[in-house]
Amino acid sequence: MSIKSLWQKQGARHVFAPHTEVCTTRDNMGMRRRDLIHSLVGGSLLLPGLVSQMLSGEEARAASDSDPLLPKEPHFPAKAKRVIFIFSNGGVSHMDAFDHKPELFKADGKKTGVGGGLSNQQRKLLKPLWEFRPGGKCGTLVSDLFPHLRDQMDDICLIRSMKSDDNEHYQATLAMHTGSFFFSRPSIGSWVSYGLGTVNQDLPSFIVLAQQMPYAGTQVFSNDFLPAYHQGVRVIPGAEPIANLQPRTTREKQQRLEIDFAAALDRKHFSDRSAQQELGARMRTFETAFHMQTEATEAFDLKNESAETLKLYGLKPGQTDGFGWKCLVARRLVERGVRFIELIDGSSSHNWDQHGNMAEHADHAKVIDKPIAGLLQDLKRTGLLEDTLLVWTTEFGRTPGVDGDKGRGHHSACFSSWIAGAGVKAGITYGSTDELGATVAENQVHVHDFHATILHLLGIDHTRLTYRHGGRDYRLTDVHGNVVRDILA
Amino acid sequence: MMLAFYSGFLKKAPHRSMAGGLYRFQRCFALLLCLGWGVAAESIAAAPQAATFFRGINLNGPAVEIDGQYWLAGDSPSVRVSGGAFENQSVALEPPTDASRATMIRSSRWGGTLDVEIKEMPRGWYQIFVFVWEDNHTSDFQLQVDDRQVIERFSSGKQGQWHRLGPFLTEVKDESIKVSARGGDANLSGIEIWSGRGRLPMIVPSGFVQEPTPDQLAFFENTIRPLLVDRCYECHSADSDELGGELLLDSRKGMIAGGASGVSVVAGDPEQSMLMRAIRYTDSHLRMPPDGKLPQDEIEALASWISMGLPDPRLEDTIETYRERTAIDWEAARDFWSLRPIVKPPLPVVKLRDWPKTAIDHFVLADIEAEGLVPTLDADKIHLIRRVTFDLIGLPPSPREVDDFMADTSSQAFEKVVDRLLESKHYGERWGRHWLDIVRYSDTAGDNSDFPIPQMVKYRDWVINAFNRDLPYDEFVRQQLAGDLLPYDSPEDRQQKLIATGYIANARRFGSRVDDYPQHLTIEDTLDNLGRAFLASTINCARCHDHKFDPFTAEDYYALYGIFHSTQYPWPGIELDQKQRDLVPLADTTAVQDWFDKKNAEQRRLEERIKRLEAERDKHATDSAERKVAEQQWQDAKEAAKNHANLQPPFDHAYAVQEGKVIEDATLHIKGNPSKLGDRVPRRFLSVLGGEPLRDDDVTSGRLQLAEWIVSPKNPLAMRAIVNRVWLYHFGRGLVQTPNDFGRQGTPPTHPELLDWLASEFRESGYSIKTLHRTILRSRVYQLSSRSSSVALDRDPNNVRLSYFPRRRLDAEAIRDTLLFLGGTLDLSPAGPHPFPPPKDWNFTQHNPFKAVYDSNHRSVYLMTQRIQRHPFLAIFDGADPAASTPIRLTSTTPVQSLYLLNDPLVHSQAERFAERVLAAVPEDQARVSLAFRLALGRTPDEKELRASLKFLSLSRNDVSDPTSAERVSWQALARVIFRLNEFVYVD
Repeated sequence: MSIKSLWQKQGARHVFAPHTEVCTTRDNMGMRRRDLIHSLVGGSLLLPGLVSQMLSGEEARAASDSDPLLPKEPHFPAKAKRVIFIFSNGGVSHMDAFDHKPELFKADGKKTGVGGGLSNQQRKLLKPLWEFRPGGKCGTLVSDLFPHLRDQMDDICLIRSMKSDDNEHYQATLAMHTGSFFFSRPSIGSWVSYGLGTVNQDLPSFIVLAQQMPYAGTQVFSNDFLPAYHQGVRVIPGAEPIANLQPRTTREKQQRLEIDFAAALDRKHFSDRSAQQELGARMRTFETAFHMQTEATEAFDLKNESAETLKLYGLKPGQTDGFGWKCLVARRLVERGVRFIELIDGSSSHNWDQHGNMAEHADHAKVIDKPIAGLLQDLKRTGLLEDTLLVWTTEFGRTPGVDGDKGRGHHSACFSSWIAGAGVKAGITYGSTDELGATVAENQVHVHDFHATILHLLGIDHTRLTYRHGGRDYRLTDVHGNVVRDILA
Repeated sequence: MMLAFYSGFLKKAPHRSMAGGLYRFQRCFALLLCLGWGVAAESIAAAPQAATFFRGINLNGPAVEIDGQYWLAGDSPSVRVSGGAFENQSVALEPPTDASRATMIRSSRWGGTLDVEIKEMPRGWYQIFVFVWEDNHTSDFQLQVDDRQVIERFSSGKQGQWHRLGPFLTEVKDESIKVSARGGDANLSGIEIWSGRGRLPMIVPSGFVQEPTPDQLAFFENTIRPLLVDRCYECHSADSDELGGELLLDSRKGMIAGGASGVSVVAGDPEQSMLMRAIRYTDSHLRMPPDGKLPQDEIEALASWISMGLPDPRLEDTIETYRERTAIDWEAARDFWSLRPIVKPPLPVVKLRDWPKTAIDHFVLADIEAEGLVPTLDADKIHLIRRVTFDLIGLPPSPREVDDFMADTSSQAFEKVVDRLLESKHYGERWGRHWLDIVRYSDTAGDNSDFPIPQMVKYRDWVINAFNRDLPYDEFVRQQLAGDLLPYDSPEDRQQKLIATGYIANARRFGSRVDDYPQHLTIEDTLDNLGRAFLASTINCARCHDHKFDPFTAEDYYALYGIFHSTQYPWPGIELDQKQRDLVPLADTTAVQDWFDKKNAEQRRLEERIKRLEAERDKHATDSAERKVAEQQWQDAKEAAKNHANLQPPFDHAYAVQEGKVIEDATLHIKGNPSKLGDRVPRRFLSVLGGEPLRDDDVTSGRLQLAEWIVSPKNPLAMRAIVNRVWLYHFGRGLVQTPNDFGRQGTPPTHPELLDWLASEFRESGYSIKTLHRTILRSRVYQLSSRSSSVALDRDPNNVRLSYFPRRRLDAEAIRDTLLFLGGTLDLSPAGPHPFPPPKDWNFTQHNPFKAVYDSNHRSVYLMTQRIQRHPFLAIFDGADPAASTPIRLTSTTPVQSLYLLNDPLVHSQAERFAERVLAAVPEDQARVSLAFRLALGRTPDEKELRASLKFLSLSRNDVSDPTSAERVSWQALARVIFRLNEFVYVD
């Protein structure tokens, strides 16, 4: 018997027939093969209406079994469905903002403590420049740097005992995002996308709003070894927030025509190659991309927001940049089901890194205070805070001792961060530092613990969210991390 | 397994974490982490005789007795000590210790430059401990033993904290031992010297009951033993499946030794005992047992036991038992598939005897048949030429090449195509890129500021040329590891060999500091890549502990580490030292020497002239006109000397390595921590591969030896690894699907015999990669259609048996190159250097890191790629990771890729140019459609496609008012459609 006949015996003869079934039932191209063949044969293929009709609707957009971005069940039920992660670059001084240290006010210049740039030298203590006042009913003390945020403390769980391990921006920033201080690893947003997928297939699962690059560059939102579906898509406030989002074809109809014709040719190609799922998946991504052009553009367009909402974020009508824009866009992305949204405050070259003059902290605080407070209020009044986590952090704190003339150095030994929203106790503070804010005094929350807790709030066991790479199972928390159970609601 | 067991109760706060291996129990550690009391890292070879106490020195006090041993006074004639004397016996020590030790500690010598010399030492090996303490504020200093830095930066901690640092191994040859501290103020209290290299006997710290009373024994047996057995032994005994925290609680010795986090109990003091903190759940980070707190009476019982000094009849050495139980069985280890010798297997018998064309086909067919399958049909020639052309050169075949192949009906038609492609200079660009993936090639250094490396492209070009000239693989390995140590037959040959070691030089750089630059991380990156690239092994996993799954010990790691520790890496510049240095001049050594000799001679002359002119000036009166002239001359001479000193050698340089200024074995880093040093490990190869040492008379770093060990026929890993890679790039899947990991965490080969057959053939061919290509491409398996049968899909859904050819997406480079190629834009010449800014402008910092994307019309292999910033195009289409070895390109399918193909200016501009080409080539639309298909897809359209395309063109013209532009616009549209097709990016 010849090879040909043997092979045919194994099903080659039927290669079209069974696959037609596969096409209609499983590949979900929204296109029945016999229609396709009919249309190709009948020459009516290129009536744009027909083609788009053939491709339209939910059927075309429904994901196949193999779609890595399909929503996945968490390890255990959880309130939080998504995260807005705000990162302030440069090292925000805890003792000037969220961690009241009366002793430091008193000891100003009279005693010494940890100070200097990167190292732990003994320097004169520098008193904080801003008064602290209680905020909300809970009365959590916050300084005058953040008057708007202070008013929202009833909704915030403030952690005053954060801890990192490296006094350099780059390493500490990388660790705050990936759990790794030196080596590139997937970002927390990529891990969450990998763990939970996403509900809106017309938008990326992980979006990063960054005017400029933070320390460690694109590594902070990189998927690294996780599949590229999970990479953070960077949004740059301005005319084209996502690269290639604007159709370059002058006539709108023309792009649709091109996509439909490519789809028709692809389907013909697919007809005897349908065993290869990725071909079908790739055909679908053009539809997704097509919709993203409008869906994402719409998400970034604030024209339908009320004047009152804009005011809440400190935005002027028509404004398309600034931190308020990022915050309001974050709410709009949350509404559209994006899983993880990161807002980057500042950049590697312009940020909270006040070695010479702490007074400049005021300029940076002014940029984010009202917008973040506005975002928190907006999430609350729209009910989104019920199932959204709002996280604010920085890479490390600053030294109680002076650096330069009137500045403070890098200080990873302790700092403050906060979490608000789904599943977190509101209106509390957790952990504390010593009387000068130099070391953690109780209930330390290491970066790994912080990550473990965020994952836990999303229903993910950080020890079970693993990915095999290079012969090892990797985790966001490496071999560390403990969930801070005391802050869980 | 080597376990670093600790005995003692000292502590040290780790001030820096290693490579993400962060200490989670920072607070506990700050209190209790021990720096290694009695740690002599044991080698896997027979343990040498136990060390014996030699002497102690109470540096700032009289002779004393400590632990029953006699300590000399600091002013003994055989001891010389510098620094100031300091004593403060009122400080409370943390942790507390016995009176005589405390007195010794609290009286010390201090200073920023402290030297201790102990004379009259007999020749031999010694292990040294240094007692330090902090009387007020923490300070950082460096510690040296016999001029060797043993701790890079030690932080003394809070007031009252003390440490017993060591042991530091040293060999006495000249009758003395020197201990020095440099940097910040150090308080050195005492020095303890043990004779011999062997394990240090365990000292029972004071407070432990030596002879338990009957009552104590009864308490232990009735209360403590059952409690420990019940609650702790599952994870903390010599029989534990996985020992928790390297802590054994099943013997007195284990109790004393403590675990990875330090000492667990302080006899007599439950409050200071980590064990109590853990069982009381004091700290949220260390709670034992983890599944629930013990009842209060059990907690109190343990506290009482510690209070009474842990009376304990369990005298057996369970540490040794555990070591023996977990030691590597080398014979069994070498019986693992990847470590067995390569034996050329006989061809298997197949049923379809006429089917195989080559030996490969026998192996593959036998498996296909065993699965109850039959191979698919042979590929059409039209698919085959597109497949092999992309495969070998990464570009599509031209219509003419397709026509020639179709017209050639000879039996050698395919071989002729293969030969033509292997001779193409584009072959090296395609296959060199595969190697660059594996070695995580990057044009920048990867430090916090990501400094550019303009010279790196020389290595890139060397790789491309090595493939083009079919450099035998063994030589390919040798030159990359030790090109500078190889003989050469021309200056050009020598330069190329120097450039080849750019492989090592390209290791990643870290951080932004200079004084405490983490060189161990750069060496780790070297070994990580070297293990994966050449040995398909994850040897870097043995940096902190013996490999958890594979037979690599921590000693193995440091044996190789010593080779690179003895190697001089070039300095790329980083934030705090922004100039390149230690590059390798690409010139004749005598010419280099001459140049420097001349430069130095001229420098001396200029310096003398300065002196002379200065003297001349001083002869004149202060305000005289002559003095002004002389002053000017003197200033000019100084300026000239300064300029001359800055003169850079006129030679081209390679970013490559050289022999280190110091050639020496490395010292084991306990738990991977470079400030916790263990035993010195002689440089040698991996134990499981024979462990061959350097020859006694070898004075080199050992890199050439390493290369020889790797390519030796005795090492089965290297050749299995490379033939698997070549197979993988041809088929999209390796015979071993984890090409960088042939260990137990990897997957075993799907075709073990074929793998060995290929490796044997490869060796017989003299390690010729091109011959290996021919061997594989000639096979019928390679020439199969990519169509599958339904039975095959059902029985072998992943096509492991290769009953049909795996269809594949083009990689990022091939997509971009093809777009540019079809647009007629691709510059097919090799690209030169990257347009980096000149070095004088390198002010990069982590705040403003180097960041650039350089447009280029050259092939994508020549694109500038950065470690830290991904190239935007390569990132979208799954390009290689420039920071870590990429053994397989993933193919993700994302909307962002589709957005790129819908809207990116590059796609649109190439579509415009492609349309122009097609329009200009033939006058009539039908022929144009045909040409467009042939150019982009390698085939003509069928009738339906042709008609549909014409219809599409007319629809695309409909709304365009200007008829002259209408034609162009519609053709651009068709070009864009073609560029987006699955058929365009997938190869059958």
